[in-house]
Amino acid sequence: MRRFGTALAAAILLAAGLTACGGDDDAGGTVTLRFSWWGNADRAALMQQSIDLFQAANPTIKVTPSFQEFEAYWQKMATETAGGNAPDVLQMDFAYLREYADRNVLLDLKKTDVNVGDLIPAFQGVGEVDGALYGVPTGGNTWCMFYNPALLKDAGVEEPKDGITWDQYHALLDTVSKKGKTYGGSNYRSVIYSFESWLLQQGGRLYTEDGTLGFTRDQLIAYWTVGKQYIDDGRFIPAEKVAQIEPASPIVKDLIATEFRWDNFFARYAGETDAELKIGPVPVITPGATGQYLKPAMLLSASARTDHPEESAKLISFLINDPQVGRIFGSNRGIPATNAQRKAAVLEGPAAAIAAYEEAIAPLLQQAPPAPPKGAGTVEAAFLRIADEISYGRSAVPDAVDAFFAEAEDALAG
Amino acid sequence: MTRTRHGDAGAGLLFLTPWLLGMLLLTIGPMLASLYLSFTDYNLFDAPEWIGLENYRRMFDDPRYLQSVRVTGGYVALAVPLKMLAALGVALLLNQPRRGQGLYRSAFYAPSLIGASVSLSLVWKSIFSDGAIVDRGLGAIGLHTGGWVGRPQWSLPMLVLLAAWQFGGPMVIFLAGLKQIPAELYEAAAVDGAGPWRRFRAVTLPMLSPVIFFNLLLEIIGAFQVFTSAFVIATGVGGGGGPAGSTLVYTVYLYDKGFSDFRMGYASAMAWMLVLGVGLITALLFRTSRVWVHYAGEKP
Repeated sequence: MRRFGTALAAAILLAAGLTACGGDDDAGGTVTLRFSWWGNADRAALMQQSIDLFQAANPTIKVTPSFQEFEAYWQKMATETAGGNAPDVLQMDFAYLREYADRNVLLDLKKTDVNVGDLIPAFQGVGEVDGALYGVPTGGNTWCMFYNPALLKDAGVEEPKDGITWDQYHALLDTVSKKGKTYGGSNYRSVIYSFESWLLQQGGRLYTEDGTLGFTRDQLIAYWTVGKQYIDDGRFIPAEKVAQIEPASPIVKDLIATEFRWDNFFARYAGETDAELKIGPVPVITPGATGQYLKPAMLLSASARTDHPEESAKLISFLINDPQVGRIFGSNRGIPATNAQRKAAVLEGPAAAIAAYEEAIAPLLQQAPPAPPKGAGTVEAAFLRIADEISYGRSAVPDAVDAFFAEAEDALAG
Repeated sequence: MTRTRHGDAGAGLLFLTPWLLGMLLLTIGPMLASLYLSFTDYNLFDAPEWIGLENYRRMFDDPRYLQSVRVTGGYVALAVPLKMLAALGVALLLNQPRRGQGLYRSAFYAPSLIGASVSLSLVWKSIFSDGAIVDRGLGAIGLHTGGWVGRPQWSLPMLVLLAAWQFGGPMVIFLAGLKQIPAELYEAAAVDGAGPWRRFRAVTLPMLSPVIFFNLLLEIIGAFQVFTSAFVIATGVGGGGGPAGSTLVYTVYLYDKGFSDFRMGYASAMAWMLVLGVGLITALLFRTSRVWVHYAGEKP
């Protein structure tokens, strides 16, 4: 408790800029770049190998790395940026790209010699906001269904095939819950990306051009009402069971047979369960309209205040283009974003399954929507939390939708 | 003479400097900054924009804020009395002249040594899950609650139990207080024919009332600031305070607003409302203490 007070005090101090200090340069013509990313120790080891390669190729540039896990990373990034002390090069999330770009803290990479010519077509222009290039994707992922073939077999259900419709999928859930040993799935209707793909399948979108909500209350009421119905009839696993095993997913605990996620989770899940999971299609309303797109799993950006824009751009170019770096990372940053790195990466096991899935679905993908507006991170969290209250029976659907619209509109306006 | 005294004061100040610097830079400075920020719209990136009392007004229209006040109020109302009762009860037992009391005292104090730690919260989470010790134990006596972690009606009581279990701090203070009560008071009462219950009511409680008051004050202030257990156990989908907002204690919501939503102005205003609220309750307690707190040596 006292820790919390101290942390808050320290943060406020940082925010007030009292401890802000400038950049640092070594003497002798060597340039030092600060580079921050989120990830774990595994990624740190891969990153260090790549940085070593970069420094060997560019003896006049020294890279000082630092990393945290995702949540802590953004808290630190916010305070550092506010104190005018952002790192030169930083890992960026698609959901935060516009938030940071709109606040003029990111460098327009078009003003540098950054090399983005080899990006696969789906990623050309993906990090652009209002014509300026604020981030370059290092890899991508796609929304997909994970399923556990053994659990489906227990229930006497066939594995889902391409072109499966939502009605067929919901019937599958029903059969698994009734005849199998587990629940059919988890409440995917509480996840905003499921809702987005459902909107995209109907030609709609999550956010309008000017950054407001792109759907109506009635659409969301309809969507959440069905979710609640499936919680009640036992197709979805109850919320209290999910809450207890967090942050693990119920699918790695053999509690459900199907789940929707970004496909890069597949590698992580493979390490958490003995079950042989598979990647399957996202169900559709009309065949062919998948509503899916290749989302940048992460991007690299540079700070607008960096003293070394060209060197920063050089580091970014190296990290996305160099074949050796591609081999080092494999699918750790998502399936690589440039042709050269895709060719170089040796993908095995789960990574190979993800790559195969992405290749199969490539012709059915649509262009990624523009970077989400400022406040999108808050909207995403509110969507999940409020839908969860419905799952618990704590809110009626229309009230929950009202609460969501109020919070989301507030977050997007701020 | 004056000169020496002056020099003494200078030396005193010099020795105080580390503390003074810490106080000014780490406590008073940030507090004043946060007071200023509480009247602004501040998102960490752009310069703070003065909006007067708007943050304070907005709290009363914010359903999650009101929820956090309700949850925290419930937590304080349950955790403080329970913890105080446990502390006093165990202190009374440990005050008996028995062999091995030193060992028992250490054993009962041990949980408080671990403090509000993250690892303890994780242990708590695992023993209150489906099919874990608590669920099975209660099931054996016919109470089927399931795990407490994921159930909105049980998650707050789970946090209350964690707080009550760490009664070591107030217990030690109670124990010291009990030792201070002169034995002749009990002897006199016994001679007058007072039984154990009467002796407790008429001697122990009044003599202990300053210590009870002190503990009550500290525990209430501490309980209002509960953070670690709620944050670690119940941060799940969509931020802290899960399941379904049932553990959304004040500081967790404050943290969410400040560090996830970047509403630092609003979070600062929340912090000051907490200071005001706790200050008000403390003042009220001091008021009532005149009636029930008995200081030895005072005329009744």
